[in-house]
Amino acid sequence: MIVCMKQVPMVTELPWDAQTGTLKRELAEGMMNPACRHALEAALQIKQEHSGHITAITMGPPMAEEILHEAIALGADRCLLISDRTMAGADTLVTSFVLARAIEIFCPDFDLVLAGCHTTDSETAQVGPQLSEELNIPGIANVDTLHLKNRRLRIQREADNFLETLEMDLPGLITVSTLNHIPRYTALAGLQDAFDEPNILAVGARDLGIDEDSLGLSGSPTRILDVFSPRSEKKSTVLTGAPKRIVEHLFDRYGDVIGSAIRKDLKKEL
Amino acid sequence: MNFDPCMKHKLVRRTVRGFAEAELGPIAHEIDREARFPWEVIEKMRPLNFFGLQVPKEYSGADLDSISYAITIEELSRVSGAVGLCVTVHNSVGVFPLLKFGTPEQKRKYVPLLATGAHIGAFCLTEANAGSDASNVETLAVLRGDKFIINGTKIFVTNGGVCSLPLVFAMTDPEVPGGNASVFIVEKSMPGFSVGEIEDLCGMRANPVSSLFLEDTPVPRENLLGHTGEGIKIALATLDAGRIGIAAQAVGIGQAAFEASVKYSKERQQFKKPIASFQSIQNSLADMATELDAARLLVYRSCALRDAGRPFGKEAAMAKLFSSTIASRAASDAVQIHGGYGYSREYDVERFFRDAKVTEIYEGTSEIQRIVIARTVINEPL
Repeated sequence: MIVCMKQVPMVTELPWDAQTGTLKRELAEGMMNPACRHALEAALQIKQEHSGHITAITMGPPMAEEILHEAIALGADRCLLISDRTMAGADTLVTSFVLARAIEIFCPDFDLVLAGCHTTDSETAQVGPQLSEELNIPGIANVDTLHLKNRRLRIQREADNFLETLEMDLPGLITVSTLNHIPRYTALAGLQDAFDEPNILAVGARDLGIDEDSLGLSGSPTRILDVFSPRSEKKSTVLTGAPKRIVEHLFDRYGDVIGSAIRKDLKKEL
Repeated sequence: MNFDPCMKHKLVRRTVRGFAEAELGPIAHEIDREARFPWEVIEKMRPLNFFGLQVPKEYSGADLDSISYAITIEELSRVSGAVGLCVTVHNSVGVFPLLKFGTPEQKRKYVPLLATGAHIGAFCLTEANAGSDASNVETLAVLRGDKFIINGTKIFVTNGGVCSLPLVFAMTDPEVPGGNASVFIVEKSMPGFSVGEIEDLCGMRANPVSSLFLEDTPVPRENLLGHTGEGIKIALATLDAGRIGIAAQAVGIGQAAFEASVKYSKERQQFKKPIASFQSIQNSLADMATELDAARLLVYRSCALRDAGRPFGKEAAMAKLFSSTIASRAASDAVQIHGGYGYSREYDVERFFRDAKVTEIYEGTSEIQRIVIARTVINEPL
């Protein structure tokens, strides 16, 4: 199995520049992207049930090595750090291209590639699906539950208000949602091991046989016009009248919102 | 000299902080109010190696370095001083003496039981008439055949109510007052061993600090740690390491008080301005931040010396003295910044205030730390 992961700025400590609305990346502490943590957990659960070997891969600056140590501490068997100055500014297309080449060279015999469903820093959710195209294997995004039997993966995911069940033969790729596969805590002994015997291979563009021109900003067709933090606004509505009427009113107007928040069909419940 | 934390230390901090905030955060206030030991969290901490932080892998520990150990205690204490206390006491004075002075048989038999957290450890030195003066211990261990018969009462035992493998400090020669101090590995199931009432303390209330009674408790001769008469030596070596843990704990509590103060002073409005805009509040915050930084550096330096195998007694005493002093001050300032709310039990800062105070008292009072430091500096060449 291969788990693709990304180091993202720590959410609780995001230093936003209030004036420009952009992230002061140099001030942010890095951490493993939360959805990637769920993807690793899914891989660890498959490993526990069916045995197997997990390779964690990340592409990023040298300091992204940190999340690979964490992956080893959690149970990954080996790691690949793809880091090269020429890759700076890569968009999702270049990223999935590079990941695919690395997988083809360093782990060609994989059965399953797992990735987080999206990252907390850019939220594109594109790298996973693009990677399955690059590797020419089937891919399913946003997987909530999975069940593996005889090299066939049966998954469930939520799509709008439906629960979809899909099946896929291996090799394949899934991106894992944050609904299930609650990540385990890292044991401190594992953390010490991860630094005693790191088993992390660092590779650059040359090792992957990739031409510099197809990398980084120059190789990326995407141009980012604007990045902004979503603005939230609180609007309050005061309901008046007899309690019975207020409750009816509340459910008529907000039943869907409340229902979806607590995952219950209130119209059916009442 | 590099002041940047390495990748491992950053990860240790993030890992422990994540665990502490998720598991202890929601209950820290409640377990203090109810003076309840959170067994449900201890259960989760066992497989994560919190009870064998510096124990070698062969005895089922995590084999961490001392800075990682200090960071762990700091981060646990930042959320719950009482749980940080349980873990530091267990690791430093509960397990460490066995590793340093135990026979291979003792280590094989007892260390894994402690390192996995199956048993919680404690170090029982303090008595009604002996605390800072360890030579005044009255608990007696008399050799009869192949067993020592131990009689005595220990008080203020941290983890007392929950420990099942305490180390007990006792005198083996009744003829010589204060002579032949020795340390014994006692199992809770041994006859005559019992736990007294849980102390009703000002702070650290979720830790069941208690008295322990030994009445004609037969302890096999092979449970003597080191040799008879080595008690003071063991206690001193143990306390040096223990002080690092308490210093780290004080830094954690101080950090919590500081963070609460920054947050509150930015929210709290008086005279139509956040109180953080007033210079008097800023002075407090600046002092807290400066002192915490200095304390943390003292703690990590004593850890680095310890890991390098160099003497660290003076440095650990300095770290403990300074960290506990400034933690108390930070917590007191935090109460002041919170005003009336700070004095209310609804807010966390009064818990930090109560918890911080005892770091100046246990594991050697501030007065004892000054003696340790002064003795060394007076005898050092200038």
